[in-house]
Amino acid sequence: MSPLFEFQATLSRLDDGLETLHASVQQLRERTGRPVDDRNLMLFEIALAEIGANVLMYGRKPNSSDRTVEYKLRADSETASAFFTHRGPPLHNQLKRAMPAPTSETGRGLAIARKVLDELGYERDGEVNIWRLVKRL
Amino acid sequence: MAMTLDVQSRQTDKGVTVIAPSGRLDVTGAPTLKDAISEAVKDGQPRLVIDMEGVSFVDSTGLGSVIAALKLVRSSKGDLRLAAPNQQVRVVLELTTLDRVFAYYATVEDALTDF
Repeated sequence: MSPLFEFQATLSRLDDGLETLHASVQQLRERTGRPVDDRNLMLFEIALAEIGANVLMYGRKPNSSDRTVEYKLRADSETASAFFTHRGPPLHNQLKRAMPAPTSETGRGLAIARKVLDELGYERDGEVNIWRLVKRL
Repeated sequence: MAMTLDVQSRQTDKGVTVIAPSGRLDVTGAPTLKDAISEAVKDGQPRLVIDMEGVSFVDSTGLGSVIAALKLVRSSKGDLRLAAPNQQVRVVLELTTLDRVFAYYATVEDALTDF
């Protein structure tokens, strides 16, 4: 199915990067006429912000000249998919984290993303991490 | 880049502090809320209402700052209530089962009743 919506950006700073992620979902919402309370798109945005924040905070090689993250978002009438590609340390050991106890102040991000997405893919190709987030809309 | 979160605080005539963040309560905004809460619980047994009406989006770190606030307030023998969370905030509370930990109220007025 050909995409109804495509967005692509290079992210570097955490604050600007997160702003871009939210702006891209807002564009998708407007382009496809989905209301702000569309639950599946809301769940997708929640997962996108969690994975995006993790990648921007922990996924990049310190002191490297290439600290950018390539971000792509695409959607057709049934599915939204996002991709993050970045050089950095492997992050797969974080993927299986369970939801922590209610009193814990940290450690929920990936557990939330896993819970709300239909697919959360992670691949490592040499020094490059590739994340794939898929949600049926 | 504009700040993602702005926080206003006020005191009611019954001594309850109402903290009203506005913007995205996420990994970049959470420290601002934490600072406002630390300030509010410095003295005595704090009773705090966090007015979530202006929060457009919360992430796990933002939620962590609210959990930290609850622990801090309870360690001072005070209490904390959440008011007026939007649908996205309520969804995140449900996903993390924190809706069982936080009493939340439809409006600030409701949260202030009998507090």
